[in-house]
Amino acid sequence: MQGFALYPFDPPGDIAALRADLRAWLAVNQPQGDVVARANCWASFDPDFSRALGAAGYIGMTLPAQYGGGDQHPLERYVVIEELLAAGAPVGAHWIADRQTGPLILRYGSEEQRQRYLPGIAAGELYACIGLSEPGAGSDLAAVRTTARETAEGWRINGQKIWTTGAHFSHIMLALVRTEEGSERNAGLSQLLIDLDTPGITIRPIIDMAGHHDFNEVFFDDVLVPHGALVGERGQGWKQVTAELGLERSGPERYLSSHALLVALIDAAGAEPDPAIAALIGELTAEMWTLRQLSMSTAAKLAAGEDPMVEASVVKELGNAFEQDMPRRVQAIVTGGWDDEDDLAKLLRALLIASPSFSLRGGTREVIRGIIARGLGLR
Amino acid sequence: MSAAHDMLCDTARAVFAEAATAGIAPVEEAGFGLLLVPEEDGGFGGDWGDANAVLQIAGVVVPDLPVAELIAGEAYQPAATVSLMAGAMGQALVLSIEHVNTRQQFGRPLGKFQAVQQSLAVMACEVRAVEAAAAALATRLDAMSLDPSAADFEIAAAKLRANRAVGVVTAIAHQVHGAIGFTEEYDLHRVTVPLMRWRGAHGNDAYWAARLGRQVATLGGRGLWEAMTARGA
Repeated sequence: MQGFALYPFDPPGDIAALRADLRAWLAVNQPQGDVVARANCWASFDPDFSRALGAAGYIGMTLPAQYGGGDQHPLERYVVIEELLAAGAPVGAHWIADRQTGPLILRYGSEEQRQRYLPGIAAGELYACIGLSEPGAGSDLAAVRTTARETAEGWRINGQKIWTTGAHFSHIMLALVRTEEGSERNAGLSQLLIDLDTPGITIRPIIDMAGHHDFNEVFFDDVLVPHGALVGERGQGWKQVTAELGLERSGPERYLSSHALLVALIDAAGAEPDPAIAALIGELTAEMWTLRQLSMSTAAKLAAGEDPMVEASVVKELGNAFEQDMPRRVQAIVTGGWDDEDDLAKLLRALLIASPSFSLRGGTREVIRGIIARGLGLR
Repeated sequence: MSAAHDMLCDTARAVFAEAATAGIAPVEEAGFGLLLVPEEDGGFGGDWGDANAVLQIAGVVVPDLPVAELIAGEAYQPAATVSLMAGAMGQALVLSIEHVNTRQQFGRPLGKFQAVQQSLAVMACEVRAVEAAAAALATRLDAMSLDPSAADFEIAAAKLRANRAVGVVTAIAHQVHGAIGFTEEYDLHRVTVPLMRWRGAHGNDAYWAARLGRQVATLGGRGLWEAMTARGA
């Protein structure tokens, strides 16, 4: 990894107007629900909000207009995403479809797949989940064992996915499956786009330690999908998934998931804060500002058509550390009980409990550090 | 980067190498004091992006010479120190990678051990963060015609972030080097000792944290985001 060149974040168009329009739209359309829903808001499921957001043109922004998209630049989309996250908008329903499934279908999908799925994604009405992890394939993704055998009628799928976020409300799953009999590790894998109402699919909830239902187990029992469900090239699933993970790791969600807590801390501290709280606000602000620069630069590199695998991993590693550190440091300094009902206490409680997942989802800390080490020329 | 910028960096490397033994005189004679002086006033007409690059080289090659003071006035010293620190941290990382890829123990290079790989990944993240902070600060200063008071937020955030990286970067660099990194003959201390010094120079952690924290408190929770996005991108 050479010295870090800061890719200039230079989106086309009037970015100040884009921000102002979106903020005005949010002032009218963002639900004024529980403050806790504003934290970790890319896990907040609200299909009404997603449909309204899609109708306003803020989903599928980079997709071509012929598929219902906005024909806009990836960095314009980045600006919209960071505004939505900073505001704590409930973007969970469409999040995965907008961030990675849509772009992946555009890049690797057939014309039929594009026409069938992309307009619904851009409208904020069609939701997707990612079928990667399995009971025996967590960090070691190449150990995937779910099989799809090509028959005269189509692909016959057998196996199980697990930790599948949003499978219970999603319409489609983009799954990594073993299509080549007897293949090992990262060879012989392909991506299939599976309609989740296909017979033979069973979805069971896994309730997390916060009491939330985000995860699921998904079972495939002789599930038949058409030949046209194959996305991209047969046997190239590993390469396609790796590209997808680049989209997943570097976004502003890696440092803005807990932004609601920083907002509440600043508001609770007031204009003339206690010196210790002022110092904490200063340190958290410096980290967040730096993370924003790293994330924007990585987005610019991605938009320039380059592969920012290592930079994306740096954003994820530092962003996860920042977001896990923040609630711990806030708790160490503010007064108040665990069960208090003010905004700060509620956010603190929710994020302390949610934060262990931050360095697990999208690749564990250990895997991410391994990617960075390889980028440094170690191994 | 432009050809003029590349040429500037090549010149800085050559002149600083000479200055490492000869002292500041060659740096003065080469005209680095005119780097930021406008061309119409007989200067080089450089921007802070140029200063950032030159000072990163100075942070590696001549950390003990007053290059930052020669290039810019007192109000710029916190920003200049961030650049020196970014350069020195980058060098500490380069030395560490070279060392673990060549030093063999237990029959293989140290860099083959996962514990060492994970440590260096942590260090690399800190170095990249400081490099990004230095670059973003340069972008802001240049957008504001080098007015340091218009970049007060960025100076505070960048110097604070750089300060906080020093402990992690120096500790890991020395740890992976083992005893050789603790010797006078080996080059690591030429960057780690200056890093320790620069953390306390032109505002330590507490100074910038208090200053930035008080500034943010006046903005309010939502105001922080609005101010940050109004200041850049």
